[in-house]
Amino acid sequence: MDKLVFAGMDGIIILSIFAIIMLVIGYFSGKGQTNLHHSLSGYYLAGRNLGFIALFFTLYATQYSGNTIVGYAPTGYRTGFSWLQSISFMTIIIGIYLLFAPRLYVVSKRRKFVTPTDWLEFRFKSKAVTLLSIFLMLWGLGNYLLEQLVAIGQAVAGMTGGTIPYEIAVVAFVLVMLTYEWMGGMKAVAFTDVMQGLVLMVGVFVFLAGALYLVGGSFSDVTRYIADNEPAKLGVPKMEVSVNWFSMLVLVGLGASIYPHAVQRIYSAESERTLKKSFARMAWMPPITTGLVFVVGICGIMLFPGLDTAGSEQLVGLMANKIAAINGFYYWMMIIFFGGIVAAIISTADSVLLSFSSMLSNDVYGKFVNPNASEHRKVMVGKIGGIIAIFFLLMIAWNPPGTLYQIFVLKFELLVQVFPAFVLGLYWKRLAAKPVFWGMLIGAVVAGLLTLTGYKTVFGIHGGVIGLTANFIICVVGSMLVTVSADESLKKEEMAVLELEA
Amino acid sequence: MKTKSVKEPIRKKWIWVLLFINTLLIVPWYFPKSAVEPFIFGFPLWAFVSTFFTLVLGAYLSWLCLSQWNIVEDEEENAKGKGDVNHG
Repeated sequence: MDKLVFAGMDGIIILSIFAIIMLVIGYFSGKGQTNLHHSLSGYYLAGRNLGFIALFFTLYATQYSGNTIVGYAPTGYRTGFSWLQSISFMTIIIGIYLLFAPRLYVVSKRRKFVTPTDWLEFRFKSKAVTLLSIFLMLWGLGNYLLEQLVAIGQAVAGMTGGTIPYEIAVVAFVLVMLTYEWMGGMKAVAFTDVMQGLVLMVGVFVFLAGALYLVGGSFSDVTRYIADNEPAKLGVPKMEVSVNWFSMLVLVGLGASIYPHAVQRIYSAESERTLKKSFARMAWMPPITTGLVFVVGICGIMLFPGLDTAGSEQLVGLMANKIAAINGFYYWMMIIFFGGIVAAIISTADSVLLSFSSMLSNDVYGKFVNPNASEHRKVMVGKIGGIIAIFFLLMIAWNPPGTLYQIFVLKFELLVQVFPAFVLGLYWKRLAAKPVFWGMLIGAVVAGLLTLTGYKTVFGIHGGVIGLTANFIICVVGSMLVTVSADESLKKEEMAVLELEA
Repeated sequence: MKTKSVKEPIRKKWIWVLLFINTLLIVPWYFPKSAVEPFIFGFPLWAFVSTFFTLVLGAYLSWLCLSQWNIVEDEEENAKGKGDVNHG
C-alpha cells in the first residue's frame, strides 16, 4: 500500500494500545481458571458456556475479517453493482445454519463433542471418513489462516506507512494473538472478539461517512457519474454473472456455515436461546457490514477512476488517506479504523488457529496418536502444534499472492465437501460411510482439479459447487445401493441421540 | 406420555420453499436489459429490487431463528431457573 498521510507514530501508538487491550482481556479470561488448561472443552469451547454478548460478537468478528473491507471494497470497485451479491451470500449463511445447527446443538451437548470430527466419527465410525474429513478441514483452515497472516502484514504496513516493516508487523501481532490465546483459549478469543467486533463496526460506519463526504454527500451523484462514464458497472448483470451469483450463494452459504470454527461456536453456546438469539442478530449484520463496504467500493469508482486490478487493491488505503486529510476528527478516526481492520483480521485468525489446534489435539493426536493421553496433554499438544503451524504458514506468507479474493474461493472448494456427510448424516439414517467417503474424495478431487487447471468456474459455476454436486449424488445413490451390515449400522441407543423427542 | 412440542426448521417445508423463492428474487436473472432506470436512492432499478429482497431475506431468517426453533429451550431455561444447569 502507498504511504498514508496519517502513517507513522500515531499509527504505532494506536496499534500498541489495541495490542495491550487484547493482552489484558486475554489475561483476565484465563485468570483463576485452573480447569481451563486441563479440559478440552474448557480450553477450546469456553466450557460450553458462552453467553449472548460473547457468542454474538465472536460469530460476528470471526465471520467478518479485515478482508471483508480491504478485499471487498476493491471487488465492488471493479465489478460494480453486481457485487451486491456480497450482502446476500453473507446473509444466506444463517439460512444454512438453520438446516443443521438446531439439531447439531442438541446432539453436541448430549455427546460432548469438541470438534466437528467428533460428530463425523460418532456418526460414521469409519477411519477413512474421519481421516479424509480431518485432512479437508485442516487444509481449509490452514489456507484461511494463511490468508489472514498475509492480510495482517499488508494492513499494518499500510497503516504505519512502512515504518514497521511487513515481517515485523506480522510477527508482533501473531505473538500478541498467541499470548492471549495461550492464556485464555476460547474464552479469550470470544472476549477479545467483543472489543475487535465493536471497533470494526464503528470503523466501517466512519469510513462510509468519510467516503460519502468526499463524493459530496450524495450517493445518487455517484450513480449518475457511473452511468455516464462506466455504464457496464451498473447495467443488469449478464446471465453468466447471475449464475455465478447463485453459485456463490451455494459455495459461501454451505462453506462458511460448516467451517470448523463456526461449528465449534454452536458447541460453545451456553443455551439454545443464546444460540438462536445470536443467529437472529447475525442475519442483520451483512447489510451494515458488507453492504456499507459495497457502497464504499462504488464511491471509489468516482473518486479514483481508472485503477487497474493491482491499483484497485489499494483502494481502502487511498481512500483512508483522503478521508484522514478532511480534518482532525477524521484523521484520528482513520487511524482507529485501520487499527480496527488489524483487529478484525486478528479476531478471525485467532478463531481459526484455535480451531486448528483443537483438531490437532482432539482429532489427530487424541484419535490416532495417543488416545489415552490426559486432556491436559492433549491441550498442550494442540497449543504447541498450533504455534508450529503458524510459523510454517508465515514462511509461505512472506510471498503473498496477488489478490486476496482468489485464495478466498480456493479454501471453500475443498472444505465444503464435508457438508453432505455433516448435514445429511444428521437426518438420514441410511447414509452410509463408504459412499460418504467416496463422495467426499471425488468431490474434493473434482473441485481441486478444476481449480488448478484454470477452470475455477464453468459457465459461472464454481468448481467447488460442481464437486459438491458429484459428492451429493455419490452419497445419496451409493447409500441407497449399499446394504449395511448389522454392526456397521448405528446402534439403537446411539440413534436415540439423534432423536429429539424424549 | 406427554409429547412436548418441538419446533425444528428442517421439518417445515414452507420455510425452505419461501427461502428458495426469496433467493430466486435476489439474484437478478429475471430482469430485462432496460431495468437500469429509474435510479432509486442511487441504486439502478434492478439493484434496488435485489437489495430489497436481500433485506427481506435477513428479516425472514432472523424471524425464523426466533420463532421456528425451539427444541430444548424450555427444558434448559427451566433447569436454569432451578439452578441445576451446569454445562461443561
